[in-house]
Amino acid sequence: MEVRYTDVDYLVFSDAASLVASGKSPYQRSTYRYSPLLAFLLVPNSIIHPSWGKFLFSASDLLVGLFIHTILELRKVPENLCTCALMVWLFNPFTFSIGTRGNCEPIVCAMILWIIICLMNGKVLQAAFWYGLVVHFRIYPIIYSIPIILVLDPHCFLYGLKPALSSWVGQGNSTQSIPSTAVPESCGIWIALTSMFTRARIMFGLISGAVFFAFTGLFFYLYRWEFLHEALLYHLTRTDPRHNFSIYFYHIYLHYEHEFSVVERLISFLPQFLVQLVLIVCFAQDLPFCFFAQTVAFVAFNKVITAQYFVWFFCLLPLILPWSNMKLKWTGLSCILLWMGTQTHWLMWGYLLEFKGKNVFLELWIASILFLAANTFVLIKIIRYHTYSSLFQRLEFSSSDNDLKEGKKSN
Amino acid sequence: MPPSTVSYHMESWQHVQVHICRILGIQLIFLVGFGFCMSSSFVSCEVGGCTSNVGSTNQSLNIPPYFEKHITKSYFDKYDSLLDSDFLDFISHELFPGSCELLLDNLNLVLRLSVQQRSLIGDGSHRHLSSSFRFNIQSELIAELPIHFCEAIIIEKLPYGIFADPFELQHLLQRGVFMGAAVFGDTNLELPSVHSNRSLVEVHMDVDLNTFSRHKDGLEINIDLPLHIRYPPLEESGYSNIELGAPDLFMRCSIEAKSHNQSCLLMLKDNGVALGNGPVVWRVPSGIKAHARAVSIVTFISAILSTLSIVLTSVYYSSTKLCKNLKQS
Repeated sequence: MEVRYTDVDYLVFSDAASLVASGKSPYQRSTYRYSPLLAFLLVPNSIIHPSWGKFLFSASDLLVGLFIHTILELRKVPENLCTCALMVWLFNPFTFSIGTRGNCEPIVCAMILWIIICLMNGKVLQAAFWYGLVVHFRIYPIIYSIPIILVLDPHCFLYGLKPALSSWVGQGNSTQSIPSTAVPESCGIWIALTSMFTRARIMFGLISGAVFFAFTGLFFYLYRWEFLHEALLYHLTRTDPRHNFSIYFYHIYLHYEHEFSVVERLISFLPQFLVQLVLIVCFAQDLPFCFFAQTVAFVAFNKVITAQYFVWFFCLLPLILPWSNMKLKWTGLSCILLWMGTQTHWLMWGYLLEFKGKNVFLELWIASILFLAANTFVLIKIIRYHTYSSLFQRLEFSSSDNDLKEGKKSN
Repeated sequence: MPPSTVSYHMESWQHVQVHICRILGIQLIFLVGFGFCMSSSFVSCEVGGCTSNVGSTNQSLNIPPYFEKHITKSYFDKYDSLLDSDFLDFISHELFPGSCELLLDNLNLVLRLSVQQRSLIGDGSHRHLSSSFRFNIQSELIAELPIHFCEAIIIEKLPYGIFADPFELQHLLQRGVFMGAAVFGDTNLELPSVHSNRSLVEVHMDVDLNTFSRHKDGLEINIDLPLHIRYPPLEESGYSNIELGAPDLFMRCSIEAKSHNQSCLLMLKDNGVALGNGPVVWRVPSGIKAHARAVSIVTFISAILSTLSIVLTSVYYSSTKLCKNLKQS
């Protein structure tokens, strides 16, 4: 068969797991660029059955569905909307094929959603633990660090208390009157700066950092520089000249004989950095939406894009759908068809290049430009039709007795 | 349903969820610890030399233990990269022990390479190199030789830009396609040709000379080797032609001597027999240097335009929503 169903990555995980099972380093397996935790999880591939990993990833896929339902239920989304949003994940052919093909992304998605649930329940320490672990497991969730810190706003979130969540109140209506990132008029700069360092924020930063460094330190002790290079540094400096959905692949291939200068690297990083910064500043308080928009932009502007990365934002899409005014006919359909159409267009040229040996590098690169345009269009539409809704309600202090009261809804 | 009942069900469901997650967390820790403690051997595979299942194969075919060694492994202990001239020296001076001369002279009379056929099967970046070798055997002589066991060893010296996946070969080993297989040299699967070195594949195939000597057509060895292409250097024409040279063929036999058994290695020469269908050439698409400037400019303009679109949209709609919310409050 020309194109196998099982992902090549699954064979890599399995080989690494069998190396671990025989007491060796998983990094003896060429192209294994993940945390050793993944190899440990797949050791039963060698003992029980080679499909153990696929069952694990598929179970994580279902767990993501459970967490989506939990999050929407906590925000009092009506049951019918919950079900529709859930179906977007569970019946999405991209997502269920990723797990069954043997890709580990559903585990990462489950951890991200669990972090959101922990924050919604006021469990900062738990959220911090899982956040440190997920960043160790897969570097990309580091982009969520600033929004999480910002959402732990002292006006909305007090350490040790369950925060008040803003509920779904129907499309078109926002539940937060004033963004809590606004600085009170009477505060000076020093007070504003010091008020940023709340107990919740400090604890989250310390615990997540400690967990990340603990796991990293442990595996560095076991596997030394090979682990550090393959599991961490490789992802930070990765430039892959082989064809992928990124607009940069052909540029990298055409210039691969020469080392890229620092200026060239900075220029290619600038779009990513700017978009992430603006999305965080604009949408941090609406945490699920901020996560979603950041992830779409991160994937679209990355130097390497493979199909498994799409799962990173597909798991967040159901969390924002109840707050979207976009109608399926015809805006929604046009977004879906445009995104899938440009992707299929790219896959066609990719197939001709890789499996038929035709020189279609230029056509493939143009297809990747069109795919970036489609991603941009879809993201703009989603932003345009989204009803901004802060995750947490603003807390109000009573001047007479210092009791905390829930913030009033803006309706 | 009264609110208190709804609240009770929700709290119970939350407790169940927390319980499930605690179980998952404990299982995760257990698996991590289990992974640490595992010490049983299942597959032994060194990068650059997959020798998986040689042990089990040895037991089933009574292969002598001194047969396990790959004959070309020591080349890369001595040399950093694969060069044809260095490899010829290696074959001439390091592979043939003197004690086998009598046997080797006899074997040379017995085996004659008659036909070689090689072709690339498939399209694109992933193909199979199909090789077929036929030997004429003088059956009346073969029975007189004190041969215990023989194997054919095929050495493919891959050119720049073509590589074999050692882990793919390992899976073929596990399925019994080969008796032994190993890749030496540059086994990095991801680098383009510009930054990679050559590699070498050594394949071992079981040969029972006594069985084959009863066949009129002689001994035939067929090998189907999966190969892959690296991104080639840039070409003006848009294609790169990579030629695959002829393999080196060896026969290694175990002979019964007075004091102990030993292995003898014979290099099978083509005796001037040309390849049945000409040299094998792999035509690979490559990037075109003339595209470089335009591609870079358009790539960065596209990135900038997308960035500006998203930034302006985000700023506009978040400030619009903020104004709307302020009015509502």
